Amino acid sequence: MRKRSRGRRVFLLVAGCLFAPGLAQAQEAEGLRQQLEEMRKQFDAMRQQYESRMQELNERVQKLEAQKAGPATPPAGPPPAPPALTQAAPPASTEPPLMELLRPHQPFAFAGPGRVLLFDIGVAGDFVADFTSNKAERLQDGTFNGRENRVFPRHVELILAGRVDPYASAAVRFTGADESKGPGRRAEITAKLEEANGTLLTLPFGTTMRFGLMAPRFGTLNVVHEDDLPQVDRPDVLRRFFGQEELNTEKGVEAFWLLPTPFYQEVSLGVFNGDNEEAFGRGSIRDPLILGRLRNFWELGEGGGLQIDVSGGTGETADDRRNTIAGLGAKYKWFPPTGYPFPLITLAGEAIYGNRGLALTNGAGQGSTHWRESRGYYLYGQYDWTKYWAAGLRYDWTELPTSSGREWALAPYLQYKPSEFLRFRVEYKHTTGAGPIRDADEVFLQGSFVMGVHPTERF
Amino acid sequence: MTRRFRCAAIPVLLCASALAPAAAEAKPRVVATLADLWAVTEQLVDGQVDVELATHFGQNPHDFEIRPSQILLVKRADLLIRNGLEEDAWIDPIVESSGNPKLLRGSPNVVEAAQGVQVLKIPRGPIDRSLGDVHPLGNPHFVADPRNLPIVSANIVAGLSRIMPELAATFEANRTAFLAKVGAAYAGWRQTLAPHRGFGLVSYHDSWPYFEQAFDLAECGIEEDRPGIPPSPQHLTLLIRAMKEKRCTVILHESWYPTDVSAFVARETGAKVLIVPQTPGAVPGTKDYFTWMDFLVDSLARALP
Repeated sequence: MRKRSRGRRVFLLVAGCLFAPGLAQAQEAEGLRQQLEEMRKQFDAMRQQYESRMQELNERVQKLEAQKAGPATPPAGPPPAPPALTQAAPPASTEPPLMELLRPHQPFAFAGPGRVLLFDIGVAGDFVADFTSNKAERLQDGTFNGRENRVFPRHVELILAGRVDPYASAAVRFTGADESKGPGRRAEITAKLEEANGTLLTLPFGTTMRFGLMAPRFGTLNVVHEDDLPQVDRPDVLRRFFGQEELNTEKGVEAFWLLPTPFYQEVSLGVFNGDNEEAFGRGSIRDPLILGRLRNFWELGEGGGLQIDVSGGTGETADDRRNTIAGLGAKYKWFPPTGYPFPLITLAGEAIYGNRGLALTNGAGQGSTHWRESRGYYLYGQYDWTKYWAAGLRYDWTELPTSSGREWALAPYLQYKPSEFLRFRVEYKHTTGAGPIRDADEVFLQGSFVMGVHPTERF
Repeated sequence: MTRRFRCAAIPVLLCASALAPAAAEAKPRVVATLADLWAVTEQLVDGQVDVELATHFGQNPHDFEIRPSQILLVKRADLLIRNGLEEDAWIDPIVESSGNPKLLRGSPNVVEAAQGVQVLKIPRGPIDRSLGDVHPLGNPHFVADPRNLPIVSANIVAGLSRIMPELAATFEANRTAFLAKVGAAYAGWRQTLAPHRGFGLVSYHDSWPYFEQAFDLAECGIEEDRPGIPPSPQHLTLLIRAMKEKRCTVILHESWYPTDVSAFVARETGAKVLIVPQTPGAVPGTKDYFTWMDFLVDSLARALP
């Protein structure tokens, strides 16, 4: 009996152990089912709420769109088209959105979804291989003096440019170049700030003003960067009058105006320190370098254009003598007005006249001023027979501005541009000199590239 | 004394003669950067305003060189109509050189014609010049689809009305009439090209995605695989193979590109080369929107099998 009751207890215990979890699970499952049911009900209620809310919003949007599109929708219904296109309503306002204003203007200035930069960046590289005859190398009197028979970076620039605000724009240009360090010394790469200026765009009377460090408006080629020159080297007259450093890093202020004439006439006037050591060198605003230019342009027929510029400048040299320069430039271009715009023909030239006071000291140690007049010019013609290939010839003749001596040179060249951003040139230059200038034969090979933003080609 | 007076009179007369035209011309001036925008604007102003073109008709806006005469044009303008997808980014330095702050970007006197247009072919992924002279904001030739004209004309009329509010109703009426005419013409053009629906076109430059979309045509290939870069032999080989496989027999060759590549592809595939104006006026007799589209549609209808 005891055995039976013990056995029943054991049975109940075992059964309890076996079925208790099942019961608990069943209860739990029931609970979960109820919770799920409740959640489903809540979800249905929420969905109904959202649907009614969405419907309400849709109706409001449709009403607003109908109001907005009403007057602008073309009354003459546009022709049959896929619905996606016909539904595109004209915008209510043509004011550009804020992001459009912030976006850089040039196409390659870090453009891309989600990448916005407030100014443009560009890099230009210009490399030259110079092969010069022995005598000119010994005297370091080649076109690229101190860099004869070398491969060198003639000009590598980093340019940052863009709008400052609605009223002004700015440009900053750093350059690195292999520069001569004087007779007997190897050229070295020198980095410098070559341009840093702001331009005020919204001044009264159509005035535009630049301030800071800049290449002033003087002549035709002075404002052209090294990598944009029409030939490998800068013409001799500019090199002799303004030196290797050129007249392109002056500090000061410049204003220019377009005259209200039937054809293009731009007048510019600038006041600068006069830092160019070759031509001026006083480097003080107390005796400033004053530069002015009048540039005229006429369209000649459909494809022709003629530009004539007249420039003048006066400043003090480092030894307090006055130097006055004047320039006259002309450029003519012609291309077929319709169809493929090649061949393109360019004829150009520029003449410079200088009247410079030179300090003289007599045997008694008394100083006096000797006035020296000098002049020079260059002429070139270029024939671009396709977008990619061009050939040209330049003739140079110039006197030396500070001593007796003159030279002439003839430089044929060939140019190949695989794209707008890459260019190769080969140029041969023969120079015949008189006075201190020696005869020289030189060959230059040039490779140039542009990355990022670069200024649009100008006439 | 007389001589001195004469000397003084010369500059005065010169200045007076220079200023006289400016004083006499009171009509506002509008400058459009591209010929297609010029053609649309001409229809909208209907002689009420002088509309000038910043480029020459038939000049490729991709290979643009700034001429001082264009700076003068912008200097005198009251409204600038620009493409808005950087097809005419060269206008920015022109405006900055012109001393006319009214036309600086963001001013109410500047119309961005593309605003609101459903832009095609917006490049995805990294963009650099290994892709050529690519347009990062998408294909800018949207005027070639007549269905974009309601939006483009609305943008232009809004700009015109901002500077000449007294003529706003006239511009809107002109727009209505213009769009009605476009609607009727479009129906005709579609009918003309209806038998050729789905036909694949090859072009030198990527100028026609909007045109193809408007007339249910397809793009079979582009000779210039990267804009502004001469096509590589490999690309041309693949293009010729694709043209043969898909039986593409027409090449649209924009008039301002060299014809040698198109002629070569045509020789290899037996396709016909159609010299076409990418924009109005690029081929004689196509200066307005309707003659331009007529030229494109009729040439294609004749050439397509």
